[in-house]
This record gives sequence, structure tokens and C-alpha cells, in this order.
Amino acid sequence: MGRTSREGALKNGLRPGHRYDPSAAARPILVFENVFKSYRADSPVLRGMSLVIERGEFVFITGPSGAGKSTLLRLLHHTETVDDGRILFLGRDIARLSRDAIPALRRNIGVVFQDFRLVPGWTVFDNVAIALEVIGLPKRIIRTRVGETLERVGLAGRGSDLARVLSGGEQQRVAVARAIVTEPALILADEPTGNLDPQLAIDVLGLFEDIHEAGTTVLFATHDRSLLDVRPRRIVILDEGKATDVPRGLAEVDDDEDMLDDDEWDEVSGDIDQPSGLRKTG
Amino acid sequence: MDDSTNRGRFGAWRAGRSSFRLQLLSVFSLSVAFITLAASLLVVTNIDAVRERWSRAGRATIYLKDGARDVDVAGLSDALAQTQGVSKVRKISSEEARREMSANDDALQNLPVQAFPSSLELSFTQDISDTQLQEIALKLRALPAVDTVETYDRWTERLGSLLGGGVTAAACLAIIVLAAVVSVVSSTMRLLMQRRKIEIEVLKLVGATDRFVRRPFVAEGATQGALGAALALAILGALFLVVRGRFDQQLANLLGVSPTFLPWPVALGMVALGALLGAGTATISLRKLSSV
Repeated sequence: MGRTSREGALKNGLRPGHRYDPSAAARPILVFENVFKSYRADSPVLRGMSLVIERGEFVFITGPSGAGKSTLLRLLHHTETVDDGRILFLGRDIARLSRDAIPALRRNIGVVFQDFRLVPGWTVFDNVAIALEVIGLPKRIIRTRVGETLERVGLAGRGSDLARVLSGGEQQRVAVARAIVTEPALILADEPTGNLDPQLAIDVLGLFEDIHEAGTTVLFATHDRSLLDVRPRRIVILDEGKATDVPRGLAEVDDDEDMLDDDEWDEVSGDIDQPSGLRKTG
Repeated sequence: MDDSTNRGRFGAWRAGRSSFRLQLLSVFSLSVAFITLAASLLVVTNIDAVRERWSRAGRATIYLKDGARDVDVAGLSDALAQTQGVSKVRKISSEEARREMSANDDALQNLPVQAFPSSLELSFTQDISDTQLQEIALKLRALPAVDTVETYDRWTERLGSLLGGGVTAAACLAIIVLAAVVSVVSSTMRLLMQRRKIEIEVLKLVGATDRFVRRPFVAEGATQGALGAALALAILGALFLVVRGRFDQQLANLLGVSPTFLPWPVALGMVALGALLGAGTATISLRKLSSV
């Protein structure tokens, strides 16, 4: 498809009153501008944090407990509100969204939690299908898309099982399936491997990497340092309310002797876990 | 952003099946509340039927003077039999009156026969109006052989006032039932919300609107209310059939009408009221949903 015909197709898809902007596709998917957030006045979690995430990136968010990893994701999902600053998602400031607009935002962001957040009494199929029912898709399409997604996360044929009978790893796969079944532009993973053993954690990370390969932007919050070693990925370290960007991951730290040695890393990353049995960055 | 028509379909069904026992308990509690309302309405309905029957005149008694001549009484009887609106005239002598009234009472049986005045018992057709009856009574009182005429107005008035009291009592019960329904449904909704907190969280997580989340709860509230009212009617109906089977004849003889159950429009209205109250209460109970 030529550039002109593609632009024409995009223009035809615009809602009335909306202007076609060819530069929109080149904009970052997420921009944090001087974001402040505190739960108590005397201990702010985020202090003027700024960060840019490009489309299609896989970014680890890490840092010590209480550094604001989960808060950052909750602000994106609008389960918390920003005290000050702007968060632009696809160019729109989601920090100032009206209450009525929040469901639409959430339908465009898939989210996976450490505790899975599945309904134990529902089947695997129901737990995934609910994300599509909410957007009002016909039953036939729901059935097809849920089937495809379960296959994608390695749970083909398990649709009729109750969520409560699944293992932790399987439950997390169901949660991932629910997050991706609507094909959102952004996936937020809040310590998704926190309840899993090391091997399962790497399997689940692999699942997120597969999703990322398909073009989805992934923000993966973890304090498990072993996962950061698996592949060189961009890492954002949150500490004392600010973000430190490590664009090429831990490899960058290893390669550049002038950057951080182990002690310096520990100083920056605080109490990030280093499970035994996994390779420690040298 | 808008809700399409098929949203909530699966959600409502899932919600319903997951708390079956709680719903059953709630329906039973509601039915207890509704039984009081239905019972009071049943009493009011039947008192009204008796009042209607008696006010439509069923009958009157002409007490004759002691010295009334048989010729005059016979002439009066014939004249009444031909009067429009009078269906039957029956002469009761003093002897017959004593026999009928003292059938179960020895004390009355020992009274002299003069204590029981002879009378004419009149039965009227159903279409006779109160005015016509009063006119007939007025003319009869002017006749020399007639002592008094009893049209049982006072009984009708008493039944009327009893009916008024019954309506007031039913209205009070309706308010109590309303409070009970609101209390039971809102408690049930809070319990359901607590039990389904994870479901609500998941729905909000995937971008469900408040309306989408609320819909199954409101449907359940309406269903509980309607089922509670229907169950109350069913229980009351069964009790009514048992009672009527045993006392129907006696009540018909005593009151002149057979007891009837609540008319269909009233019964259906009660079920609709239950559904409406249940849905309304559920909606109000879920106001805090947006904070989840």
C-alpha cells in the first residue's frame, strides 16, 4: 500500500470533527512530564518524574520497594490520580480525564497484576471473555478471539476449567490473555512474576516478550533483578521519586566500567531481589 | 464509549449463578414482608365484598305491631311481592321467630312468645339502589300494621368504617413492607457487592462502565423483589385455599358472600411493585460503585 493510499485510508477512519495528523503515529506512546504523586504530604512517591516511552518498546520499571513502580502503573491505569504534571498517552493527557472517559482508557490498556486478579468461580473462558463483553463484541467473535488468545498463551483447550483449579503460572497466563485479548496499544505488568517460582517467572517474561514482538508496548514493573538479566532491555530505575533511564539494560552497565559497579547498582536499586540459582550480573 | 445492547448479558447471568443461596434467602425474607401486605389486602378485599353485598341490600325486616290484623299483613305481603326490586317476601310468625332464635339458646326458649314480634323478611334483587330501598322503607313505616323497618344500614355503615380502618391498616403495612423490602434488598446488595468485590474490580479493570457493572445487580434486585412478592402470593393463596375449603359454607351463610382471593390486577401489581422496589433499592445501594 502506497503512502498516499494509506493516509487516505486513515483519513477515512477518522471520527467527524477530528483532523488527520500524520505526525501522530511518530509521537511517543507515553510521556510523563514532571509528574508528582504523594499519598502523604511528608513523603512524596514521585517528585517531578519525567519519562518518554516510544511505541513498541519493552521497558522494565524497577527500583526498591516503595519507589513508586506500582504507583506509576496505577496512574497510567487511572486507579490513582496525578497530583501535578502531565501524562500523555497517545498524545492525550490522561491525568485530566473525566470520570466518564476512564473506562475507554482502560479498554486501551491491558494490565496484569502479581495477584492475577481473576474471578476464581468463573471459567478460564469467562475470565478472558469479560474484556471483550465490556466492549460489546458479538458472542461469536468473542468465542473466536478468546480461543485464539488462549492458544497464544499456551492454554488451548483449558477454556472450560475454573480459574481456581489452575496453578499460579496458569492463572498468570489467563491474566495475560485477558490483558491482550482486546489487542491494546499498551500492556502494564505490575510485578507479574512476584508469585511465581524462578522458572515460571522466566516463562511468563517470555510470554510478554512474545506479545512485545507482535508490536505491543510493554511496561514491566519488577524488583526481580534476575529478570533484568535475561535479555538487554531498556530499564527505568525509580528511586526517591525520580526516574533513572538505562536505555540498553544491564548490559550497558556491564560494558561500561565507568557506570555502575555492583555496590553502586545496589545503592541505586536498593533492595531489588537477587534470587539464588539465577545468574548475577557480573 | 457507549453501551451496546448485548453488554451485561453474560455478566448478569454469571452474577446470578454465583450467589444462589444468598439470593434465595433474600427472596424468602422479602416474601415474609410481602405476605403481611398481601394478607391485609386480602382482608380489605373481602370486607369490601361483604360491604358491597350488604349495601346492595340484600334484605330488610319489617317488624309488625302486636295487634296487626292478618288481613292487613296478607295485603301488605302481596303488595310487597309485586313491588319492583323485591325478590322474596317471607312471613315469620312470633312462634317461628322464637323457634329460630332460640334454637341454640335455652334462655331465649323460655321467653314468652310475645317477646318475639312477627315480621316480614324481604329479599331484594341485586340491582336495587340504596335510594330505592330507603324510599320503600319510608313508605312501609307509615303503614298502620308496621312497627319498625330494619334495613341493616347500620351494619353497612359499620362495615364501611371497618373497611376504612382496613384500608388505613393496609396503607401502614404497605409502608412497613416498603421499608422491609428496601432494607432486605439493600443488605443483600451490599453482601453481594462484598462477595463479588473481585468481580467488580475485574470489570472495572477491563474498562466496564458503572452502568455495565450495575446492571446485573439491578436485574437481581428486580428479580428478588418480584420473586419475593410472587412467593408471598403463592403461600397466601395456598393458605387461602385451605381456609376456604373448611369454612367456605359457614362464611357464605354468615356474610352472604363467599371469600375471594386477591384479584389478578392486584396480584400482578404487587409483583410489579416488588420488582420496582427491588430495582430501585439496588440502584440506590450501588451508588458507591464508582469508588471501587
